[in-house]
Parts: sequence; structure tokens; C-alpha cells
Amino acid sequence: MPRRRTATAARASMATPWLAGRWDEPTSSTLPTLLVRRHLRSGQRVHYQGNVVVLGDVNPGAEIVATGDIVVMGVLRGLAHAGAAGDSARVVAAFRLEATQLRIASHITRAPEGDRPPDVPEVAQVRDGQVVLDSLTQLYEDR
Amino acid sequence: MGEAIVITSGKGGVGKTTTTANLGAALANMGHRVVLVDADIGLRNLDVVMGLENRIVYDLVDVVEGFAKLKPALIKDKRFDNLYLLPAAQTRDKNAVSPEQMRQLVADLKEEFDWVIIDCPAGIEQGFRNAVAGADRAVVVATPEVSSVRDADRIVGLLEAHDIVKPLLLVNRLRPAMVKRGEMMDIDDIIEILAIELLGVVPEDEGIVMSSNRGEPAVLSDRSKAGEAYRNIARRLAGEEVPVLAVAEDGLLTRLRRLMGWSG
Repeated sequence: MPRRRTATAARASMATPWLAGRWDEPTSSTLPTLLVRRHLRSGQRVHYQGNVVVLGDVNPGAEIVATGDIVVMGVLRGLAHAGAAGDSARVVAAFRLEATQLRIASHITRAPEGDRPPDVPEVAQVRDGQVVLDSLTQLYEDR
Repeated sequence: MGEAIVITSGKGGVGKTTTTANLGAALANMGHRVVLVDADIGLRNLDVVMGLENRIVYDLVDVVEGFAKLKPALIKDKRFDNLYLLPAAQTRDKNAVSPEQMRQLVADLKEEFDWVIIDCPAGIEQGFRNAVAGADRAVVVATPEVSSVRDADRIVGLLEAHDIVKPLLLVNRLRPAMVKRGEMMDIDDIIEILAIELLGVVPEDEGIVMSSNRGEPAVLSDRSKAGEAYRNIARRLAGEEVPVLAVAEDGLLTRLRRLMGWSG
């Protein structure tokens, strides 16, 4: 059964120091990751030591605070605070980034008034002491 | 065995009590046995909207405390023999009953009635927890305003935590002309945030103020636009497939139909 062999091989290689060594800071995160498989609604909060991935929307009034990165596979309209323990190399990415306020480490930014966010996935990160937003596709092309 | 539905919203003044009264009257008019429960202890209104204020002898707190039996506390409606009201206590507060007592009360009422419709107080505290305790389903009322939708979202989150599956959305006081001018949120905007199933849309209707003050639910009037919308919503609750009322130009209607899963 070739399929089974592939699965075993993959598991084995995940454990090898060779591969672990390649998933290194700052391009990778080995922090524990919490997967939230629902919408986060107003008043609901997720605080986590590590990364947070949401399979759903984060609505206004909802709050995610993570010491690592935050990824929202939906619309981010609520509050997201990445690198909450002070790591300003962390990012916030969302399928639609419509948050009115973003926090990375001790940096806080507001969405410009009246600006309609673009209809593309975006990532927010700290560059030169400022939180800046890039489209995800743009980021891939730059690399 | 009947079904218990809680009418809730988070925000006050969006039309929970009006919705409770009208859905109850509409379901009774369809021949169902209906009881309305006013869970807004300390701020009772449903009796006034139903025009039954002067008939109250016992209330909800009397029943849960065992001071009165359930049957004599139920007030029969003036217009329908199959519509009853269990009024709230006015001189007590939300802490006078517990969610466990409400669960028992609603279970008892479900033995006797097809529908138990619970009017939830505004807020997310004890009164809310009591009102949703015995409910099988929830209708979340929201007006097309950002603050109302925000509170509705909070409520949906809490309902999910209470294991009330599939809350239904009722958009109240929609003003199609304002939506058309881009001055009011439209149905799509609201559903995009709340991500729950749309039960119906009730247009803004000045007649509602008069009918509430007179104690005559709008569904009993053929001329009321809101009344017609509530009649359709009641039929939908009862399992009929009824298209959403034409509250605006064709574009909106078509979109509503699409949202409700009907084409054309």
C-alpha cells in the first residue's frame, strides 16, 4: 500500500532534527498553535500562549490575544493582538483584514477613517517601528 | 409536546415584545395553542401590548414560588380562546427566579401548548439566562443599526454557549427607502456579520405604535404592512415555505429570496 508508506515517511521526517532545524525563527514559528473552528462573536475572547488560527470570522467586539502570530481564515473585524508578550516580529494575517484596530507587541494602529479595505488577503507586521499592511500576494512576490 | 421559542436581542427597544405579541397572535389565528411568557420580571410590558393588563391576578413568580398553580395564572386572550399569557411580576426582580425553575415552567407549559413564546428582557445577565433556559429555539431580533447588530452578535455567541442551536434572525424596522439611498444597513450587511439564518424582515410601520398602545397586535389588521410580515414569519416558524415580504424594490426581494434558499 504505497499511500500508507508515504504517511509513515512524512511522520518520520517531521521528527528529524534536519527538518526541525529548517523551520526556524524568524520565517517559521514552532510555538504551540490553537485552532479555533468557529466564528468568534462579540464578547468572546481567546487568550493563548502561542499562535492562533481561526477558521471563521472574528466579529467586532471579539478579541484575540496571542504571544505568537494570528491568522484568520475569514473576516477579521474585531481586535487582534499578536506578539502580546512583546515580540514585535509577530504578524496578523487575515483573509479579509477589516479590523478597526490592530496590535503587535506594544505597537497599536488604527484603520484610516473612511478607507474601504481592499478585497484581498492581507498581513500586518511591524516595519521600522510602524504597523504596516501588505497584501499577502504582494508579500510572496517580494520573497 | 410543544416547542418553546425565546424572542431575544441583547439591545433594548428593538421590538422583542412587539414581536412576541404579534407572532403569538398570528400563530393563535392559525389555530395553534399558544402561550406567551413575559420573562421581563420587574419591567412587564407584554400584558399592556396584548391589552390584558387589567386581568392579571397571579404572575410568573407566584407560579415558580408555588404560591399559585399554573392554570389560574394564565390569562386568556380577549380575541382568541387558544392564546394565553403568563405575565411577569412587576414588584420583583430578575433574581426572583432561577434558570432551573424556568426550565421546569417551560417544560410544564409545553405539555399543554403547541407554542411557548418567551419574551426575553434586554441585556445578557440573569434575566437573559432565565429566559433562554427552557427554550428550544431562539429568534434574534435586530434593527438595521450597527449597535443593534453588535448586540445581536453577542447574543448569538451566548446562545451558542447555551446550546440553543440555530438561532434565527428577524430584522425589524427596516426602511427600504433609506436602504435604497445607502443610509441604512441592508439585509446582506446584517447577515454577513451575524452568519445566521434569516427568518424574516419586518418593515418600519408607524401603525405599530398605535396598535401597541391600544393593546391590539398588528397581525389582526389587514392594512398593516408589519402585521403582514409577522403573519408570514409565523407561518414560516410553523414550517411553511413563505417568500419574504416585498419590502423594497425587486433587487432586494430577489436577494432575500436567494438568501432564504428560494429562487424566483
